[in-house]
Amino acid sequence: MIRVAELTKRFGPTVAVDRVSFEIERGEVVGFLGPNGAGKTTTIRVLTGYHPATSGRAEVAGFDVQRQSLEVRQNIGYLPQEVPIYPDLRVVEYLRYRAELKGVPARERRGAVSRAMAKAGIEDVARRLVGHVSHGYRQRVGLADALVADPQILILDEPTSGLDPNQRRRVKQVVRDLAAEHTILFSSHILGEVQDVSSRVIVIHRGTVRADGPPADLVARSTRAQLRVTARCTAEQLRAWVEELPGVVGATLAAHGEQPASLRCDLEPGADPTTALGDRLQAAGVAVHELRLELPTLEEYFYAITDGQDQQLDGDAREGAA
Amino acid sequence: MSGTLTTLKKELLSYAVSPVSWIIAVLFYLVRGFELYAAALGFAIYRADPNQFPGATYGAGSTFYMVLLVPGILTMRCFAEERRTGSIETLMTAPIRDVEVVVGKWLAAAVFFAILWLPSVLVLHVLEYGPYFDADISFGPVFAAYLGMFLLSGMLLAFGCFASSLTENVLLAAILTMLFTGLLTQASEFLAQYAGALRESYYVRELLAKLDVYGNFSNWFARGLVDTSQVAFYVGGIGFFLFLTWTSLTSRRLA
Repeated sequence: MIRVAELTKRFGPTVAVDRVSFEIERGEVVGFLGPNGAGKTTTIRVLTGYHPATSGRAEVAGFDVQRQSLEVRQNIGYLPQEVPIYPDLRVVEYLRYRAELKGVPARERRGAVSRAMAKAGIEDVARRLVGHVSHGYRQRVGLADALVADPQILILDEPTSGLDPNQRRRVKQVVRDLAAEHTILFSSHILGEVQDVSSRVIVIHRGTVRADGPPADLVARSTRAQLRVTARCTAEQLRAWVEELPGVVGATLAAHGEQPASLRCDLEPGADPTTALGDRLQAAGVAVHELRLELPTLEEYFYAITDGQDQQLDGDAREGAA
Repeated sequence: MSGTLTTLKKELLSYAVSPVSWIIAVLFYLVRGFELYAAALGFAIYRADPNQFPGATYGAGSTFYMVLLVPGILTMRCFAEERRTGSIETLMTAPIRDVEVVVGKWLAAAVFFAILWLPSVLVLHVLEYGPYFDADISFGPVFAAYLGMFLLSGMLLAFGCFASSLTENVLLAAILTMLFTGLLTQASEFLAQYAGALRESYYVRELLAKLDVYGNFSNWFARGLVDTSQVAFYVGGIGFFLFLTWTSLTSRRLA
């Protein structure tokens, strides 16, 4: 449904998006993840026909965004990051106007607006002036706008930004409900949201795609799994045992002082030496206080790749991510 | 086409709920009402020909207020406000052609402008009765005068749309339009001074004549005369500035 190939967008000397490529198939819910200023909004704006690309190609619903912009726009529902709405119209008036603009036939318009308002949960403010509703409601008015023409593809740019936890949960639920019938690309810099809602994540940083895949796969691919071990023996002894194990690439002292010794070991991707180490310690008759495999979270993975360090991070960075 | 109509309806609704529109309307009706009353009284006292009345009122201050100041104020928000608030993004990503947006917005400004003017025709009709003229006013010259005014205002509104598409500062957009209006009213006289030998050329003379806004009014429209070349000049001006607006708007889609 969405195909992006070698897309580049420059603003003067600044390269906002640098040879980005990805594809999104029908029915996928894809989280577009990246820190602020990563190039998410710029990519989305190219896809929606708001900005022209400097080079590369982008297709949405089989139409080229540059040459068939109108057809592209007919097939998408777009929620911009900052929902700018005419403050002097009532919510229902605004949505009727948008429905008409999007070509919803007159006799279906009332129903389409009601359905969109129900999905976004804004029926109680239908008669209020848009300028008078809270930020959270305005965000959902924008969501209702994106939904009103029942487009095949939804592009939501930070749909939960500035919302309180309850509103955020509601929006996430809406996105989940919509997943059955729509292809959704939604951007966020909040990992929990992406993990909760999307079946696939594209991580973008400094204008380039750093990772693309299901959240669990991305995490598993990370080099950042760690083993924590605390045992009643000397640190040197423990380190010697640990470093003999396959899959361990380094160990650092987690706590200084006498016994028990505590180490944090970095592991190769997919390695799990927990059982081997347990057996070894048991054979040596050493009392084990703690032996734990710490799988990296998406957050840590995100931190690692967006900090420009695709390899292992040191312990300080790990704490910084927490 | 449907996009133009949708934009027209929405913009008219925005004009209707905007306090600025109401302030313009109230000021205009107050001043215009007083001026027409005073002029009609003068005509009645001196028993002047009522048919000269419509022409005579076009020199009134309210005409200048409406034609020279109001187009800038009406159109200043067209695109500048959309850019300032960011709503231009939702507009430009909606399935509507840029040209439909431009024409819809201009048309809304023009229709709203016409709505402001129309009650003044009613005033003329009221004046046909005693104690004012107690005679029929010929509405032919009135029609011609209104047509001329709408054509000029239409061009100024089109320029206003263009000015508004250049900036996100509404005040700057209004000032640009007023400056343009001021220049337009002076342009003919100013250019004539520097035209020198070029004035011998038929085309230069014609262009200067068409640019002469006051001359067009006092010699033609206000006397009930409609010259198609003048109509073409103003319609061309409307088309030209709408084209510039469209170019300004659509340029952001081009690589």
